Amino acid sequence: MTQPLLELHNLNKSYGTFEAVKDIDLTVDTGEFLAIMGPSGCGKTTTLRMMAGLEEPTRGDIRLEGQQINDLPVWQRETPLVWQNLALFPYMTVRENVEFGLRMKKVPGPERQQRCAEWLERLGIAGFADRNVAKLSGGQRQRVALARSLVLQPKVLLLDEPLSALDAHMSIRMQGELKRLQRELGITFVYVTHSHSEAFSLADRVVIMNAGRIEQLGTPQDIFLRPKSRFVAQFVGGISLFSGMLKTTREGKVGIDSADGLLQIADPASVQTGTKCDLAVRADRINVTTQPGWGTNEVPCTLMSEEFAGAVVNLHLETAAGTGIVAQLQQRDLERLSARAGQQVYASWHPEDGVLLGVTALKAAA
Amino acid sequence: MNTHLKHALPAWTWFAGLTLVFVILYAPILSALVFSFSVDRFPSLDITRFSTKWYAQVFADARMLEALKNSLAIALSTALVATTLGFAAAYADFRFRFFGQRMVLALALLTPTVPIAVLSLAMLAFFSRIGLSGTVGSIIVAHVVVATPFAMAICRLRLEQLPREFETAAQNLGATPGQALRLIVLPHAAPAIGAAALIAFAVSLDEYAIAWFVGGLEQTVPVTVLNTLQGQVDPTIHVIGTLAFAATLSMVFAAQMLLLRSTKSHKNKEVSP
Amino acid sequence: MSVLSAKVRLRRRAWFALWAAPLPIWFALFFMGPMLLLIAMSFWSVQNYRLTPDFSLSAWSYVLSLDFLWSTFWRSYGLSLISAALVSLLAFPASYAMAFLITPARRLTFLGLALAPFFTSYLVRIYSLQVFLGEGGVLPQLFHSVGLSGASLLNSYTALFLGHATLTLPVVLVLQTLALGNVDRTEMSAAVNLGARPQHVLRHIILPAARPGLSLGVLFAFLLSYAEFVSATYLGGGVFQTLPILLTDLIRGGQQWPRAAVVSLLMMAALMLTSLVTVAWAYRQKGN
Repeated sequence: MTQPLLELHNLNKSYGTFEAVKDIDLTVDTGEFLAIMGPSGCGKTTTLRMMAGLEEPTRGDIRLEGQQINDLPVWQRETPLVWQNLALFPYMTVRENVEFGLRMKKVPGPERQQRCAEWLERLGIAGFADRNVAKLSGGQRQRVALARSLVLQPKVLLLDEPLSALDAHMSIRMQGELKRLQRELGITFVYVTHSHSEAFSLADRVVIMNAGRIEQLGTPQDIFLRPKSRFVAQFVGGISLFSGMLKTTREGKVGIDSADGLLQIADPASVQTGTKCDLAVRADRINVTTQPGWGTNEVPCTLMSEEFAGAVVNLHLETAAGTGIVAQLQQRDLERLSARAGQQVYASWHPEDGVLLGVTALKAAA
Repeated sequence: MNTHLKHALPAWTWFAGLTLVFVILYAPILSALVFSFSVDRFPSLDITRFSTKWYAQVFADARMLEALKNSLAIALSTALVATTLGFAAAYADFRFRFFGQRMVLALALLTPTVPIAVLSLAMLAFFSRIGLSGTVGSIIVAHVVVATPFAMAICRLRLEQLPREFETAAQNLGATPGQALRLIVLPHAAPAIGAAALIAFAVSLDEYAIAWFVGGLEQTVPVTVLNTLQGQVDPTIHVIGTLAFAATLSMVFAAQMLLLRSTKSHKNKEVSP
Repeated sequence: MSVLSAKVRLRRRAWFALWAAPLPIWFALFFMGPMLLLIAMSFWSVQNYRLTPDFSLSAWSYVLSLDFLWSTFWRSYGLSLISAALVSLLAFPASYAMAFLITPARRLTFLGLALAPFFTSYLVRIYSLQVFLGEGGVLPQLFHSVGLSGASLLNSYTALFLGHATLTLPVVLVLQTLALGNVDRTEMSAAVNLGARPQHVLRHIILPAARPGLSLGVLFAFLLSYAEFVSATYLGGGVFQTLPILLTDLIRGGQQWPRAAVVSLLMMAALMLTSLVTVAWAYRQKGN
């Protein structure tokens, strides 16, 4: 069995009575791109800072390649961080910034210059080497920050919302470059972000945190298709939630008995009747019609509002029981639907598109 | 100011107020300058002739030169110690969170509100009890107490402009706390440290009450001025005043330039290769 | 329970103490020490012309029963309060001009010029005022030439006030200008947009918003004037006996240390009380 690169064991951090991070267990493998995601204040940045040694854990262990590094001061750890505001040193040129870490590690002059030049070249900022960092554009500054950390040839690179200072266009370009760099270098990236698009498009695995705990850990697909909890479903967004008791009807149909009627599900194997649970349906799997009789799970509702998001439209619906439903339609489907706000419509979906939350956990427990 | 915002009184009235205030502030300074070059013993509007004879008299006065030597030695030592203490405290307040932090700040910043006569009295009593009164050392120790709050405030304000991540970012790249301080914090704080030293020097050079109470026979320049004030008209005070103004004003302006330049350069500095 | 080893902790503490400790130590020894001694000394007694540690209330009862002490106390307090108010009024138009009528870049230059005298030879400036106002001085000469009395202007409240202004104007100007400069311009525009006239904007927007800074200006002018004794002696000419003068006289007059200590503590008490009241008022919020 190969040694995991970075391990967090039962990691806790409290500030006074406030518990920022609670009992985090996490293993990061070599060469992996791991994203940690969650709303602000969920403890994601604190977790990252503990990895870098910028915060001391209140309890628990941090191991790098099996070695416990709790006691290692920041400056002796080899876990460079790309800061949210980049923290480029303003009194130094681009080159001095990139050489900084090598100087601190007492790398001899010629090697230092060579490594620095190599990385400036690689990130396409060699032309600005002698500029003051304040004179660079957002994207260039971003590259300097990356070069400054990567020149140290770390085993793991920590990134704290590194793209949040960039405009949308630049951010997307940098995402592509980050992904390519990580693939080429084979370095482990631990990437903290609150942006779904960054986490889902970049990471091999995504950690969703809430209130100091890990809510779910899995591949982006896993999380998107099979959210484990209401929180994850709501956080990922574009998902409608129904709750009720699991039930098997006399005809042998399985579903949840919700305020909006019996909502069938496809996978009866994983079901234990009588448990209260949540059903999630993704917005792009919901069909909206003006007439009833289209599908198995059909709920009459009122069209509340339409929200245009590029080529697609999100329809916000509300059932008689007050459940909110979001459905995603193509532009042309909306035109065909020709419904106005306040009008009665029908939302329907296939049983196999309904996902029971926490089902995998249920399976594991059973 | 936006054009739609009109003032309650016409602009010239406010400017008249501004002029009046600056006249009150600078007239005594200018008059000292003018009268220091007048040959007349009694300063009046009809000046007979300009000369430098009072300057010659001051520089020939052994007592005055001795006082000047004392003053410079005291001001220099005060600047050194006060800046060190002030920077250390400012850095501690900036960098760490600790128990009693607010108290330290309050202690340092409330000192200047203690009436100087009361402080002098307390200092005199204290130094006589430990057998230090009447020495140059005791004046320095007391002046450090008076000057440090200014030094600390200047350094603290400057440090506030340094994003906290910079220092940790340096450590994250392998710099020890000492290296991070030297390579990141000190270059940033350097202008403020310079300004703090200049202000501390100026404060000490100008201080008369404590020096008068505590110093005993060791006179500083302001103390000789104070002693002269009690006597008759003496034109040499104008000379000392002019010299002191020139010295302290240039130091205070130098300090202000340092602080202003550094605030500006922080935003747009082009470093030539 | 800590996850760090004792050695790491110790090193961290030492590094922290290196920066945090020096100033508190110096101030504990050479500021708190003298001030505490002053408090202790107010309870000491003078026996056979020698100051003796004691717990005696004689200095307190002696000083507190002096009628002229109380008249001096209130005169001192009143005079500095009047000076503080007048200096604030005198400075206000200038601060207003600096805050609203000149460009921010120029404002810094003006503020620098206003503050610089605070650090320069106060004594010499008082001396200059003395020869300005004294008999045959520049101002009486000017007055004489326009047909007024050419008598000395010294030993008057005007002279004392000019001394106080010399001392306190720089601080008041800076505090007022910063306070006025920070008044939200959008609020002012909003008021105009709702039909406020310039004088209403001044009264209902600018003055309330700048109140903390303006009050601090008055407070500092008061603190400085109250503690001042050079102007009171050489410009007021002893017409205005103030507490600091009393204090210096007591000390120079011989072994009256405990009495001087009591007077000092009274001064401090008055200062602290005034500061507390002013600061509380300055930062009071309307509504809950």
